[in-house]
Amino acid sequence: MAGAAPGGGASRSEVYRGSGPRLLLPAWIFIGVFLLLPVILMAVYSFLTKEFRGGVIWEFTFAAYDQFFLNRGLFGDEPPTIEWTYLGIFWRSIWQAGLATFFCLLIGFPTAWYVATRPVSTRSVWLFLITIPYWVNLLIRTVSMKFLLRDTGPLNEFLMWTGVIAEPLSLINTNFAVQVGLFYSYLPFMVLPIYAAVERYDFALSEAAADLYCDSWTTLRLVILPAVKPGIVAGCILVFVPSLGAFLAPDLLGGAKTFMIGSLIEEQFKGAAGNWPFGAAAAMILLTVVMGVLLIHARAQMREDG
Amino acid sequence: MDQKNIAVDVDHVVKRYGSVTALHGVTLDIREGEFFTLLGPSGCGKTTLLRCIAGFEDVSEGMIRLHGDDITPLPAHKRPVNTVFQQYALFPHMTVLDNVAFGLARRGWSARDAEGRARQVLKLVQLTDFAKRKPGQLSGGQQQRVALARALAPEPQVLLLDEPLSALDLKLRQAVRVELKQIQRETGIAFVFVTHDQEEALTMSDRIAVMSNGHVQQIGTPREIYEAPVNRFVADFIGETNLLEVDVQTVLGGRATVALPGGTVIDVPAADGAATGPGHLSVRPERITPTDGPGSVTATVDSHVYLGTDIQLHAKLDDGTPLVVRMQSSGADIPAQGTRLALDVEAGAARLLAD
Amino acid sequence: MKTLLTTSALALTLATAAAAEGELKIYHWFEYIPQELLDKFAEEYDVTVTMDTFDSNEALLATLKAGKLGEYDVAVPGDYMVKIMADEGMLDTFTPDEMPNFDNIEDQWVDVEFDPGRKSTIPYQWGSTSFSVNTEAYDGPLDSLSLIFEPPEELKGKINVLDTSGETLTLASLYAGIPQCTSDREQLKALNALVQGAKPAWASFGSDVAKDVLVSGDAAAGMIWSGFSAKARAEGAPIEYVFPKEGMIVWMDNVALLKDAPNRDNALKFMNFLLEPENAAAVTNYAQYTAGVEGVAEFLEPEVANSPESNPPADAKGVFVQACPEEVQVLYDAIWTNLKK
Ligand SMILES: Nc1ncnc2c1ncn2[C@@H]1O[C@H](COP(=O)(O)OP(=O)(O)OP(=O)(O)O)[C@@H](O)[C@H]1O
Ligand SMILES: [Mg+2]
Repeated sequence: MAGAAPGGGASRSEVYRGSGPRLLLPAWIFIGVFLLLPVILMAVYSFLTKEFRGGVIWEFTFAAYDQFFLNRGLFGDEPPTIEWTYLGIFWRSIWQAGLATFFCLLIGFPTAWYVATRPVSTRSVWLFLITIPYWVNLLIRTVSMKFLLRDTGPLNEFLMWTGVIAEPLSLINTNFAVQVGLFYSYLPFMVLPIYAAVERYDFALSEAAADLYCDSWTTLRLVILPAVKPGIVAGCILVFVPSLGAFLAPDLLGGAKTFMIGSLIEEQFKGAAGNWPFGAAAAMILLTVVMGVLLIHARAQMREDG
Repeated sequence: MDQKNIAVDVDHVVKRYGSVTALHGVTLDIREGEFFTLLGPSGCGKTTLLRCIAGFEDVSEGMIRLHGDDITPLPAHKRPVNTVFQQYALFPHMTVLDNVAFGLARRGWSARDAEGRARQVLKLVQLTDFAKRKPGQLSGGQQQRVALARALAPEPQVLLLDEPLSALDLKLRQAVRVELKQIQRETGIAFVFVTHDQEEALTMSDRIAVMSNGHVQQIGTPREIYEAPVNRFVADFIGETNLLEVDVQTVLGGRATVALPGGTVIDVPAADGAATGPGHLSVRPERITPTDGPGSVTATVDSHVYLGTDIQLHAKLDDGTPLVVRMQSSGADIPAQGTRLALDVEAGAARLLAD
Repeated sequence: MKTLLTTSALALTLATAAAAEGELKIYHWFEYIPQELLDKFAEEYDVTVTMDTFDSNEALLATLKAGKLGEYDVAVPGDYMVKIMADEGMLDTFTPDEMPNFDNIEDQWVDVEFDPGRKSTIPYQWGSTSFSVNTEAYDGPLDSLSLIFEPPEELKGKINVLDTSGETLTLASLYAGIPQCTSDREQLKALNALVQGAKPAWASFGSDVAKDVLVSGDAAAGMIWSGFSAKARAEGAPIEYVFPKEGMIVWMDNVALLKDAPNRDNALKFMNFLLEPENAAAVTNYAQYTAGVEGVAEFLEPEVANSPESNPPADAKGVFVQACPEEVQVLYDAIWTNLKK
């Protein structure tokens, strides 16, 4: 890390500049076809006219964005005001995803730390144990979480058996249950990148910090967190983004009482609404928000690195 | 010795790692303003001792005092000592200036004062122009000086250095030695310096503790260590020496009469604890000289190595004991292989060891 | 040796040829046809059958629209969806003489409004959509949709409603006495107010879980399809299916011959196969709805034949869900989105 050979960075980046583009061509083609093309398609669709019960008519219009941002009343004849319906759904999803990210970080960081500080021989066992549940399909895992949390589920029965509670706790179909589901679904996405960062962390830095009068918490704050920050950021992105679009947990554990971004978009394609341009527009707006956040972060990171 | 002048007092420190005992009851004093070196082969416990003083390891037994205060129970961050790490351990995400100011800020200095002091220390290590760089953008030598500056800035009572020069190439290492010694003198801080390079130890130190296998073998000035090693380990480890098997006839008041292989009896200085009977006499190669007279021993030349100002001869005594002789190259002829040489052992510079 | 090799090679070719004899691709509802029946068809006609599933009529439409038309041979749309798909030109037609069992279709299901004269579809199963109540949790009278839309204290917070706007809003309309596909402002506002007011008492929205929540006890009352309710009872849920005095939804699922079916012949064979009373009865025994085919009675298991869900009282009222025109549908969509925002 600090001891990296000086000049190594320079010569390496020269190598990249030289033959890089040619070697990276397959990757660029792949990105172009499988990532960019769908996004472009979606952007185009969002400006097309909807066809009743799904499909599009190739006529340019802002109708989808109009519907998203402007409220013209139930019958469409009132003067436009700001439409809070969809912004509210977005805000709720962002809040939910943010909360899930926070809890994943809260538990994921110590977990990753613990695993990364085990002897090399046992680390892979711990990692394996952590990832075991994730060999099972997400739907099945979410359903089993539903079994666990329901009024007659093992959790409530255990608590009643121990006498902690007399009546079952209403856990299912609550935001709490959704949080538990998201947390359980995406925890490894937090643990693994942080684990990778901690594993690379030079523990001599912690000793150096202690040597320079830092107690454990100050060391964590001033030295460890900045050093493993790339892992934390990666973990947060990996948890936040899928949480934002998640619909299994909100549907199965939250009772699908409210739309999340994911289910709102899904409804446009699969539900009675069948409004594809609106679904595409909602997805584009979501993408713009996420890209915006990532860009701001990348900018800040670049400025920091000089 | 005056208690007050003692910076660090290591008192019968034992350190065990499971079944491995890294330190077997080490006792030593480090005086204020002293350049003190821990010298010994790899694995002898130098780093362990240093880490015990810094507080990164708990001692299993014994006590460590700093200016008379027991610091054994204190965690590392509460000990007023600083360390220069072997791999420097600079904070990669901070600038050089922030690295150097780091300890000051922790000790409650205001940002402004800390920066002022950091700049002052950077000047001392001649890195003023690099204040705003990140450690990754510095050369190895520059990083080493940042590490030194960072440890010096909070004005520790003792500075611990674990082989700080080992990552540098020879030329740079020699230059930094001089600088380091100078800085030590200017700051007046006691340095505890770990190395396994005896030349480094001899040229820089006020005193040296020679360690092996978790034991301190000898503590003394470079000259004492070199000229008056107490036992075979020290004699052998420091510089080059000939260990001759001798028959000790009398030992009295720090001197002894010994019979060399071949029978010549000479009177030599003796280490404490030397006893009559079979013993070992340490004689440095440059203290054995070819002579025209009968000499104290005779040997047959095997080979030679030309070293510029010196020539080193490899010879064998009549009983087969190998012998190294160093002679000045100017003027003298190089004795051919097979030549029988009469050699004088300089009795005053030889030393009977305590084994 | 050589002969042996040739013979086995020949056998191999024959086997592959046999496997490739024919294919059939079905797009069907989840949990709606017994695997044994598919196997039986595959064996009898030497056809490789593959099946994908969907969970709502709208999902079926969306998938076919998104480019899957031409990949499947038959699909199973509900009544109003048949009409929509026909209007979209997604259905192929056949003549009765292409299907020997055509005459087995019960008379009342031949000239249906969504496919007059059965030119593209045959009946699959029909049933009703209403709701079931856990009689251990609630022991009051079971006769009104008010149990869902203005529930008593015992059921509040323990109700599951179907997560499709068509069914839930139609039942709400029945309760409020509002005609389907209305564009009357006051009526729509009343409908909106009704579901908004009821929502706090609802625990969850879910269609595929409708049975599960009743069996597990997560819900004490839940909108459900008749056969699903019978299955829930069979799995031990202490529930009773309600025939509300305000009316309920009646629906019929139909096997439709899709436009551009890659295996049109096999599709017709399959539809003919399903009109065989024994096979129609097998579906009914499995799904617990009612077949629209004559002569199934003797093949039905008694508990299915006698299930209360399939034997509504004589005065029970049922309506088909109507496909609304676009201008009206957007209003219903808005009410639905508003409900779940
Ligand atoms: N954490 C540990 N666990 C077990 N044994 C250890 C540990 N640290 C050191 N040792 C052992 O203690 C002994 C002294 O080690 P130490 O690191 O102090 O040697 P050193 O003199 O610094 O050697 P070097 O010159 O190679 O750095 C060695 O035998 C080493 O194997
Ligand atoms: Mg060491």
